[in-house]
Amino acid sequence: MVVGDVTTGTDVLVIGGGPGGYVATIRAGQLDLDVTLVEMDAYGGACLNRGCIPSKALISATDLAHTAGAAEEMGVYADPAVDMQGMISWKDKLVRRLTNGVESLCERAGANLIEGRAEFDDTHRARIVKSGDGQGSESVEFEHAVVATGSKPIEIPNFEFDGDRILSSEHALALETVPMSLLVVGGGYIGMELATVYQKLGCDVTVIEQLQDALPGYEADVTEVVRERAEELGVDFRFGRTAKNWEGTGDGLILRTENEDDEREEFTGEKCLVAVGRRPVTETLNLDAVDIETEDGFIATDDRARTSLEHVFAVGDVAGEPMLAHTAFKEGEVAAEVIAGEPAALDSQAVPAAVFTDPEIGTVGMTADEASEAGYDPVVGQMPLRASGRALTLNEPEGFVRVVADSETGFILGAQIVGPDASELVAELAVAIELGATLEDVGATIHIHPTLGEAVHEAIKGARQESIHY
Amino acid sequence: MAFEYELPDVGEGVAEGEIVAWHVAPGDHVDEDEVLADVETDKAIVDLPSPVAGTIRELHAEEGDVVEVGGVVVTIDVDDEASEQPEDASEPDESTTAAESSEPALKGADGETPVPEGRVFAPPNVRRLARELGVDITAVDGSGPSGRITEGDVRSAAEAEEPERKSAVTKRSDAGDKKSAVTKRSDTPDGDRKSAVTKRTTAGGTDSSASAEDHAESADRDRTVAVPAARKLAAEHGVDIDGVPTEKSRDGEPFVEVEDIEAYVETRQRAEPATEPSETTTAAGTPATAAEARPVSREPYQGIRRTIGDQLQAASSEIPHATHHDTAVVDELVATRERLNERADERLTYLPFVLQAVVAALDRHPVMNTELDEDAAEIKYKEYYNIGIATATEAGLMVPVVEDVDAKRLPELSAEISELIERARSREISREEMQGGTFTVTNFGAVGGEYATPIINRPETAILGVGELRQRPVVDDAGEVVPAQTLPLSLSIDHRVIDGAEAAQFTNTVIEYLETPSLLLLE
Repeated sequence: MVVGDVTTGTDVLVIGGGPGGYVATIRAGQLDLDVTLVEMDAYGGACLNRGCIPSKALISATDLAHTAGAAEEMGVYADPAVDMQGMISWKDKLVRRLTNGVESLCERAGANLIEGRAEFDDTHRARIVKSGDGQGSESVEFEHAVVATGSKPIEIPNFEFDGDRILSSEHALALETVPMSLLVVGGGYIGMELATVYQKLGCDVTVIEQLQDALPGYEADVTEVVRERAEELGVDFRFGRTAKNWEGTGDGLILRTENEDDEREEFTGEKCLVAVGRRPVTETLNLDAVDIETEDGFIATDDRARTSLEHVFAVGDVAGEPMLAHTAFKEGEVAAEVIAGEPAALDSQAVPAAVFTDPEIGTVGMTADEASEAGYDPVVGQMPLRASGRALTLNEPEGFVRVVADSETGFILGAQIVGPDASELVAELAVAIELGATLEDVGATIHIHPTLGEAVHEAIKGARQESIHY
Repeated sequence: MAFEYELPDVGEGVAEGEIVAWHVAPGDHVDEDEVLADVETDKAIVDLPSPVAGTIRELHAEEGDVVEVGGVVVTIDVDDEASEQPEDASEPDESTTAAESSEPALKGADGETPVPEGRVFAPPNVRRLARELGVDITAVDGSGPSGRITEGDVRSAAEAEEPERKSAVTKRSDAGDKKSAVTKRSDTPDGDRKSAVTKRTTAGGTDSSASAEDHAESADRDRTVAVPAARKLAAEHGVDIDGVPTEKSRDGEPFVEVEDIEAYVETRQRAEPATEPSETTTAAGTPATAAEARPVSREPYQGIRRTIGDQLQAASSEIPHATHHDTAVVDELVATRERLNERADERLTYLPFVLQAVVAALDRHPVMNTELDEDAAEIKYKEYYNIGIATATEAGLMVPVVEDVDAKRLPELSAEISELIERARSREISREEMQGGTFTVTNFGAVGGEYATPIINRPETAILGVGELRQRPVVDDAGEVVPAQTLPLSLSIDHRVIDGAEAAQFTNTVIEYLETPSLLLLE
């Protein structure tokens, strides 16, 4: 303990105010626990400030401009001009609004909020290093701690983020002008979302991916819809190439790549976005002081979101895959409830996930292959959106809804949706899976006409060989 | 440690009992031998004492439920064990250990139920309940559609696991069992136990159809257990399965069977022609058919009511009844009683006089004190006089028996009758006290009226109904109509055993004693 430290005590110390941390804070407050939240940067974490929300803001705005400018088929002629600074300041405004909202929600839950960086002193004490000069530090003694320090973009060798030519996703969400051309290293969901945004803004985008297709982890027919649409928009894909190094030029950079056979290829662009994934932030925590176990850099947790120390929990990205804000929400809730003695656990039957490309991808639960591997005899129902009245009226007929169920019992096991608003459509199937619903249950449910939701209904009925509209 | 108390055999060869009233609620602490509930068997209500001291965890039957002997009626957390076993039901089990060993780096807290790997077809609240109750949900058989696991399934599984955990206690308490007749627990396997608690109405389709009308409006459940065939039938008839009345339950959830739906549909169809015309009925009149739609209230035909009904039906259909009516003029009896009451410590009622007169008459007409043994093709003459007194109680008719009336003096008899009737009315009377009668007197006159047609209390062969003692006009020896205290008598006989003339002669003798009570001194 440093001389001059102030020591306070708390039931629950939450380290990090992102989706996992702020939810744990609010839930702990609801459960009448004395909770202290330490945040070193901005409430809402990467999601609100540098991830989900900013990217969705830019996607919506660029979609609006792009759609308006590409609707001749619908009899609409327009050539929208985009003011990038205006778009960014609109985004910043709503991010501020949301982060302020998170802060006041935490306050309203009765949490004690401290700005600073928390590191473990011992298993029941943390030191808070205040941000700002001369703020000193403070010690907090805690009964329980919830580590929610999140993640940050991975840097690859020779590609340190400089915010000028080599951009992280965070930089790419804050550019004040649209570059002429953009090299995107990494064809995962972040790379694909931003590639689409910048291509629609008139930038010439090239995606360089080490693997043989974009969006690894998704089934080929799902990826195909998105990739083909991106190609239609003008995105170039270069698969099987690894970014090796780069060299600055007068108005941009030259990026050097290699393929499996050591064949080199160079690409030129104004800027380069490196989006190859995110890594957990644990270096700020002084984990050595408490002997909390990690796995591949992530803090290892059990089905109660608990670390190797029984009274210390870890939630969100720092606790491992899937690194999704909504799983962080769930983990934060469970951690708070377990601390409060409730029989909560991380027992979700499926985690829905979305990619906000054009069109969107929404998935939940098992693919047909995964269901077979898990020992089920899967039955599949698929509804192409070109047979959906609503998809046609939206002029977005690409994509499909696919539902996977157990043929014996009819239990719904998973769904893959690619199409407009797939991220919303998948919620219905997530509920169905979580409740243990069958094809018959959802098939017997009335869906509004004309909506995209009908396609879900049709896919369900299709799995029962009862589809009406397809 | 939880003790599951199974309904003991509370009478001779009793197969089931109805829980009439609980004296305890979950959370209550009970001492050993403290009365937990009133249990009604064929003819009596008995106390159900607690075999252990502890805290009531759960009642497994509701008041009105009929529980088979061996069915668990209550779970009690036994005191001794309470300190060792915290109330937290999520006790460690093998699966926890397995999870720990497979993932040594991250141990769950002691007593936690691990989250199973792979899919579980149960909604979140059910999975949470399983953790709370320490149930391995992967081992639970689901009773929902396609085998989906319900809250009831998890609760049943939790209950089924308890006996294994408490086996040590079970043995110990068995060894020190002081009153095995009442607290003996059968070793019914868990599977049987689940079905032990059933409503009487499950006995037949008729009953459930009756209850369909009964609860036609009230059945609006959130969830219902039903087999797919039942759900399908409901769908075919456009019936909301949650609206189908049922008293049945499976694993703690309302349970609807095909026959319930059929009964409900039938009821609905009957009700429709009755209600639809009424919509168009003008103020001028209500159609006769609408009568069915008039409000009715119903009560279960079970317990003592049903026992009485079954007995009376058997007696009525089996015995050719004949009833003889006559009247005793009892001015002298009234005067005698008044004189005696001036001296008696306890006021005498008329009933002991009637009983003495009856016994004196039985002595002279032994055929009235008989039993027909059809199997042996014999008439059994009983040479003792145990007189039953039919008594109206809130629960229905009971017949406490006064033994050896001939050997008892008037005050003694009077006190015993009063005491028996009182205890019958307060339902404290035992089965034994209502058995072994040889002849019955029914004193309906206490309520009012003159003559009746009493139904014989089998296996007896005669019953005397006594009307209201009051002044009525009689023609005296001088041919004048005068007021006199009269007691109307109605004697029903088993005409197989007793002739009409014998009935008349017996009645005459009774009248003789009642009209001249001093004759009783000779008896």
